[in-house]
Amino acid sequence: MREYLVAMWRCRYFWLSLARNDLRTRYRRSVLGIGWSLLHPVVMTLVLCTVLPLLLAVPVKSYVPFLFSGLIFWNYLVSVTSTGCQCLFQAEAYIRQYPAPMAIYPLRNALAGTVHFLISLPVALLLSWHFSGVTNPWALISLAPTVTLYFLLVWSTATLAGLANVFFPDTQHLCEDGFQILFFVTPVMYDRAILGRVQLDWILKYNPLVHLLQLLREPVLDGRVPPTSAFVSSAVVVAVVMGLAISSLVVFQKRVIFHL
Amino acid sequence: MIVRQPMARIVLDDASLVFRVRQHGRLTLKELLVRQLFHRSVNPLIEVRALQHLSLGLNEGQRIGIVGNNGAGKSSLLKLIAGVYRPTSGKCLTNGRISSLFDISLGFDLDATGWENIDYRGYLQGETPKTIAAKRRPIAEFSELGEHLDMPVRYYSTGMLVRLAFSIATAAEPEILLVDEVLSAGDITFQEKARARMRDLINKARLVLMVSHDLTALAGFCHQVVWLDRGQLRALGPAREVISAYSEFAHGNRGAAA
Repeated sequence: MREYLVAMWRCRYFWLSLARNDLRTRYRRSVLGIGWSLLHPVVMTLVLCTVLPLLLAVPVKSYVPFLFSGLIFWNYLVSVTSTGCQCLFQAEAYIRQYPAPMAIYPLRNALAGTVHFLISLPVALLLSWHFSGVTNPWALISLAPTVTLYFLLVWSTATLAGLANVFFPDTQHLCEDGFQILFFVTPVMYDRAILGRVQLDWILKYNPLVHLLQLLREPVLDGRVPPTSAFVSSAVVVAVVMGLAISSLVVFQKRVIFHL
Repeated sequence: MIVRQPMARIVLDDASLVFRVRQHGRLTLKELLVRQLFHRSVNPLIEVRALQHLSLGLNEGQRIGIVGNNGAGKSSLLKLIAGVYRPTSGKCLTNGRISSLFDISLGFDLDATGWENIDYRGYLQGETPKTIAAKRRPIAEFSELGEHLDMPVRYYSTGMLVRLAFSIATAAEPEILLVDEVLSAGDITFQEKARARMRDLINKARLVLMVSHDLTALAGFCHQVVWLDRGQLRALGPAREVISAYSEFAHGNRGAAA
């Protein structure tokens, strides 16, 4: 384990420059530049905030920042995981040449995704302050451990997706379908009150993403530091996914090359 | 403080390498279901025994050639030593910084410029921005690509790619050098330059392993030769002896077939 980390550190300039290059080409090729990472959550928020209040009795003012904050987390998780499906194929040329630790390839996707997320985070905060007034900014300090947890989570899911895709080419489609289902059982666009009304709140008890979302929403929307219990349950979820990713790497890493 | 520089060394201990590949690429969901239903796969696993129970001990100062027919496991052996493949069983231990020259046109990021690719390759081999800065200029000069280096690699011709790859790959100062038939790089003028550079590199490296079908070149470069036959070690000994035994065998085979 220690050796592995040392090897990753030794080629740090390599994965850092790959991630930097990914971001640069993405921004260079679009008219929107850095706004690119905001496009998807902004459009979704606009659409849903126009449609949903017509169907359900949701107060638009509090709904806009609620939805936007949920979407940026969701986007972060889904985009890193689904681009992660291709990470080892994308790196095939390097894998065939050098025995670099394989975890650096999903790391490339995770880093780029984290930058997108960090760009949209202040926008979520501004939306919240605009619609519901300025809240306690000190609570935002709690976002530091939250972002760390998110980063470890998406890195692990991208690793799992990348490895799975090497052995099982349907992974990306299955992933997309899985996320589609998960989207509707995660309170990204529904809030707890709505789910309670339609007796779906049992979902909240078992869906591990609920705590992770809470860590983002409480400080951003309410200016509150999330309870320790939310941190603990999120950390447990992340630790389990990380454990899975690490053990899959240990088992499958040396076989990957034969399947590229 | 004493700077301890361990000897360059390669040890293979009963190393075997087995590829397990599927006849039609990877397993799909449909297949998995079909196999579950009928208990019979239409996409069976094929085992390729690339290397079988190989034991070798190579030490600092040796220059070793590898000969054998196609599919004998020559390239697999180099990739095993480079760490790209891990042995299915047995051990493969190396001591020393390894630089490998095989499939040299692989490993480019097509959207990045020539300069950026010089950096990436360097970083992958453990260079830092400081150490790579000193090497960029000589690499660029050797490649003779000039302002083409500002262009994304995607637009390079094959010859240009090979030049760049060769220039980058040979800029390292390896302790262990693994070479897989790269002497035919670029056009004729570049080839001569490349050959001179290779000779220089081989002289500087502390332990060299090279695969080539050019037996005269091998005899000139190497002290000892390994002869691989269907993944097994057929002979290891002084270059001239093994090479003449191998060519006798190869010609004999051809004669028998004719």
